Amino acid sequence: MEIIVCVKHVPETAEAEIAIDSSGKGIKTEDLVFDINEWDDYAVEEAVLIKEKLGGRVTIVTVGSEDADKTLRKCLAKGADRAIRLTDKAFDGSDAYATAKILYGVIKDLPFDLILTGTQAGDDGYAQVGVILAGFLGIPHATMVKKIELMEGFTRVNRELEGGLEQVMEVGTPALLAVQTGINEPRYVSIMGIRKARQKELKVLGLNDLGLKEEEVGESGSWITVEEMFIPPVEKEAEILVGGLDAISSKIVETLRARGLI
Amino acid sequence: MAMEELAAIKKLDFNMCMQCGKCTGSCPVSPKSKLNPRRFMLETAYLISPLTMHPPLNIQEKGELWDCTTCSTCSYRCPREVKPMDVLIGLRSLLVEAGNVPSTLGDALEGVYKYGNPWGLSRSKRQEWTQDLKVKYASEEEKIDLLYFVGCAASYDSRAQVVARAIVKNLNALSIDFSILGNKETCCGNEIISLGEKGLFEEIAGNNLALFDRYGVQKIVTTSPHCFHAFKSRYGRELAVKHYTQYFADLIDEEKIRFSGKIGKVVTYQDPCFLGKHNDIYDEPRKIIESIPGLRFEELGRSGKRSVCCEGGGGRMWYDIPGERLAEDRVREALDVGAEIIVVACPFCLLTFDDAIKTSGNEERIQVKDIMELVAETL
Repeated sequence: MEIIVCVKHVPETAEAEIAIDSSGKGIKTEDLVFDINEWDDYAVEEAVLIKEKLGGRVTIVTVGSEDADKTLRKCLAKGADRAIRLTDKAFDGSDAYATAKILYGVIKDLPFDLILTGTQAGDDGYAQVGVILAGFLGIPHATMVKKIELMEGFTRVNRELEGGLEQVMEVGTPALLAVQTGINEPRYVSIMGIRKARQKELKVLGLNDLGLKEEEVGESGSWITVEEMFIPPVEKEAEILVGGLDAISSKIVETLRARGLI
Repeated sequence: MAMEELAAIKKLDFNMCMQCGKCTGSCPVSPKSKLNPRRFMLETAYLISPLTMHPPLNIQEKGELWDCTTCSTCSYRCPREVKPMDVLIGLRSLLVEAGNVPSTLGDALEGVYKYGNPWGLSRSKRQEWTQDLKVKYASEEEKIDLLYFVGCAASYDSRAQVVARAIVKNLNALSIDFSILGNKETCCGNEIISLGEKGLFEEIAGNNLALFDRYGVQKIVTTSPHCFHAFKSRYGRELAVKHYTQYFADLIDEEKIRFSGKIGKVVTYQDPCFLGKHNDIYDEPRKIIESIPGLRFEELGRSGKRSVCCEGGGGRMWYDIPGERLAEDRVREALDVGAEIIVVACPFCLLTFDDAIKTSGNEERIQVKDIMELVAETL
C-alpha cells in the first residue's frame, strides 16, 4: 500500500495573542509556535496505522520553508518512511489552488494507492487544497472523513456531517481522503524518536524540479488575493430584550431597520 | 524491544531483589491500581536475562505503569536498595519511545516541548502572576546572585500563583535581593524524566543550564520540591539550589525573620514526597511552621518518613485513575487530628488538596495553605 500524506507546518494560534503584520495581510509569526497542522496529524496517524496493518510505504509531502522540516521529522518519527519538502521563493503567496498545483507537480510522478490530507489547515482554514489536488490528479475524493475501510478497488468511508450525522460512502481507489480530527488518536513522538528519524530520507525540491513556471505558482498563479487581514473589533454594547414574543420580535425588526440592515 | 532503552534498567542489580514485596506493600496506589512494583522487578529481571518467562512480559500492555506517582516509597523502603521506582520510570521510557502514551500525558509532554510548561499555555503569559509586585527580571547587565525559580504550576495556576506572590512578598519584606527569569523560565523537567521522556528532559536540562550560565546564576531557590529535586539530583551538575523551606529555615536560624502577626489555628503538615522521601528534608518546613506565632501544630497520623503521597507527582497531575484520590484520605486524617489548615510546601500538594477538600465535601471545615502564605500573613 503506497500512501501519500500532505501536511502543513502552521502557527498555533488558539492560545496565542495574534497581531497583524506590517503588510496588513498576514499575522506576526515571530513569537508563535509552529507545529504540524492538527488535521494533518490525524491524517499521518491514519496512514501509519494502515501501513502497520497492511504493509507498504508512507510518503509525506509539504510545501514550506526549512522550518517545516520539524514537522516532517515528526511525521517520520511517527512511522512515515520518507518526506519531500517543496520550497521555492516563487511559491510565496500561493493560495489553495496554487498550493495544490505545487503538490500535484511532485505527486503526479509518485506511485500511490491513497492520498490523505487534513480536511483543513488551522491557519488559513480554506479546506480546499485536498479537493483541488484530487481534481488535478483526476481521482475521486471525500472530505471530513472519520473512518476508512479499505476494500478491493474501493474504500468505504464515513463522512462527518453537521448535527452528529455520519454519511457512509464508497470511493473508488486510488482516491484522496481529507481526514477530520477524531478519526484516531495520534501517537506521541519522543524527542529520541525525532532524533532517530534524522536517518530517514528527506528530499527538498524546487520550482524547476517540478517542471512548473513561475507564473503558475505564488500570487500570480493564485485565484484568491488577500485584500486585508484584521482582528474584528470587540463590541462593547449588549442589550437583552425582555417581554413577550411579539414585543421582542418587533424590537428586533425595529433595531435592524434603524441600522439600515433590512 | 529496543534494548538500548533498557540501559538504565540494566545498571541495576536485580540479583539484589529478594522479592520480599515490601515495595508493593508500601505503594500507596497499589490498592486501587494493577501497579505491582515487586512483580515488575521480577518480570524485568527476566526480560534482560537469558532466562525466559511464560507468558513473556509485554511492556506495551502494562498501562498501569502510568499510575505510579514516583513518590519513591518503594525505593525508600526497599531493604536491598534496588530502587523499584527507577525501574518503573525506565519501563515508562519504553512506552514513550513506542508512542504508547495516554493522550493527556502526551499533551503535557508536547506542552513542555513547545511552550515550556505542561499545560501548553503561552510563554508570554508566564510572568503575568507578578502583576504589580516588585520583581527584578534577569538581564544581561547584571549577574544573578539569587534566582527565584518559580516553576510552571506557580506561574500559571491561579491558586498556586498565590504562593509565588507570597514568596516574592516575603523576600521583599526581608529586603532580599533576587531575580526571576520571567517569560524565559522553562519547566525544570522533573515530571518529564519521571514520565520516562529522557530525550526531552536532556534538552530541557541543557537549555536551563545554558540559561543559568548566561545570567551568571549563583544560587537558586525554588517554589516546588520537584524543581528543587531536578536541579539538585537530575541535572548532572552541582547547582547551589535550595527549596524555599530550607532557605527560610536558615533565615529563622539567623534570626532574620520577625513575625508581627499570628495565626490562631490548629494546623497540620503534609510532607511533599520530593522534599521528604526523596531528599530527607523533614525538619526545615516544621521549623518555619512552628515559629509562626499563635498556631498549634499537630502531626498527621502518618507523617515524616511515613507520610503518604497526595498523588500529584510522576505525571499524575495530568492523568487520573479511577478511585478516590489519596489526598482525600489525607484530608480525613487531617480532620482526625483536629486541623483547620493543612499546610503544604509543594504546588502539586496544594492543588491536589484543594481539589480533595472540595470533592470530600469539607470546604467548611478545613483549608489548604502553603507555608509561604502563612509567613506572608504574619510577617
